[in-house]
Amino acid sequence: MTDLAYLTVAEAAELLRAKKLSPVEYAKALLDRIEMHDSDFNSFLHVTPELALEDARRAEVELMRGDWRGPFHGVPYGLKDIVDYAGLPTTAHSKILQDNLAATDAAVTQKLRAAGGVFMGKLSSHEFAIGGPSFDLPWPPARNPWNRDHFCGGSSSGSGSATAAGFLPAAVGTDTGGSIRNPASMCGVVGMKPTYGVVSRRGVMPLAFSLDHVGPLTRTVRDNALMLDAIAGHDPLDPGSANCATGGYTAELGRGVKGLRVGVIRHFYTRDMKADAEMTAGIEAAVRLLADLGAQVREIDTAALGDYAACNRTILTSEAFAIHEKWMRERPQDYGALARERLMAGAFVRAADYVNATRIRRKMADAFHALFADMDVAVTASSMDPACRIDDPQAIEHTYARQARAPFNVTGSPAISVPVGFSKTGLPLAMQIVGKPYSEALIYRVAHAYEQATDWVKMHPNENRSARMYV
Amino acid sequence: MVNESLTLDEVRKMAAEIGMTRLADEHLQQLLRATNVARARREALPLGEITPADEPAHVFHLAADDQR
Repeated sequence: MTDLAYLTVAEAAELLRAKKLSPVEYAKALLDRIEMHDSDFNSFLHVTPELALEDARRAEVELMRGDWRGPFHGVPYGLKDIVDYAGLPTTAHSKILQDNLAATDAAVTQKLRAAGGVFMGKLSSHEFAIGGPSFDLPWPPARNPWNRDHFCGGSSSGSGSATAAGFLPAAVGTDTGGSIRNPASMCGVVGMKPTYGVVSRRGVMPLAFSLDHVGPLTRTVRDNALMLDAIAGHDPLDPGSANCATGGYTAELGRGVKGLRVGVIRHFYTRDMKADAEMTAGIEAAVRLLADLGAQVREIDTAALGDYAACNRTILTSEAFAIHEKWMRERPQDYGALARERLMAGAFVRAADYVNATRIRRKMADAFHALFADMDVAVTASSMDPACRIDDPQAIEHTYARQARAPFNVTGSPAISVPVGFSKTGLPLAMQIVGKPYSEALIYRVAHAYEQATDWVKMHPNENRSARMYV
Repeated sequence: MVNESLTLDEVRKMAAEIGMTRLADEHLQQLLRATNVARARREALPLGEITPADEPAHVFHLAADDQR
């Protein structure tokens, strides 16, 4: 069972296609593991064993007769509970939507079902993808598998937690100000926020229309690329969907980084914010390794984190409040305290400030993308700190804003968070790799080269919840 | 527009003007804090970067029939 828990999507696909692994046995093993351990981590809001076994049995029949749909055929996955799965509640981890049954599948759900994936359940979120970790909601917050006393990041908290805990090899998350990359960095997994519009948002509860992205969380870079292959694509029913070619995200894996130009945005984590010393050391070691592997590394400057953050939050809170205003009028008491306060920040933003923020966004995006005339990818911090304790509201509030992810929601650029080691207390460290729009394959190439040169991907949280060390 | 001397009573009035009449005192305290945070963000916007001709990132456009 332990082997199956940490099987990668790529490994599973090979075994399933070769009929050396039964999708039913695979799903059962992970369901058993979830039942045994998820009470420690609260990754899932709703586990769906009946649906999982139905998908797995269908996959088994098809695979046995040689009808292979692709790398996700027979592979378990989960959805952040702001993503619709027809017939199941989409609660957004909120009392407000506790009884909200989805009538149809989200676009991303349709794609994973069409790919033959095995749906395991709905995953914890911060309330409406903004308020968390919260203890005043109908469900508890997800916890960090590396140490359950610590925050697992968010808002795609269950997606990060379940993937790191070996409950799933892959999960869908969403990212408006960093919500895929935050749990990825805190849980030691790989999280990609693709270019704005690459993955359809149809059927996903919006937080802020012009900043929302859907993307994959996995334990390896290759798996992440495989999942993005499965879920990317133009959707005419999503007005923000990019009408461009997608796919082929594994095409450049294995080509290494020799000769690639890597820009390091060091001022984000040394000047604009001073990152934790272990986090900085982890990122700097990763940068040196990329140089050792043949990349041409140099430091670059972009706008200050504070400028990006002001732009991101002005747009985010304005658009979010427009969505929540009716509920704020009618049911304010049904929000958790964190979501209510964060959403209320949009109540009195002036129209001129919102419009100006969108004008600034265009300037910032153009200026940032112009940097790629002289570089292929950029590297910077994801979180400034390792995961803090989940029961320390002051530490949560302190670390919530200490991040370098929101700039790439502002610019819409693809950005991935990958593990770069562990703190002395055994908590994951991470960096981001960022590219110009639609350069996901190149980002995966760089991330994969780094991953292959290190051992982080081989380390998993100890199942003994009292343990602090990885196995 | 929010000013420096915003009080809880003023926030209560502003909330009522947009139909938020069911807020408990605790919620109003949250709204006051949140509004102050939003004001600080507005002051942090790099407005000096934009000129009158700079348009928003997502400008409305219509697709031709063959592009729909």
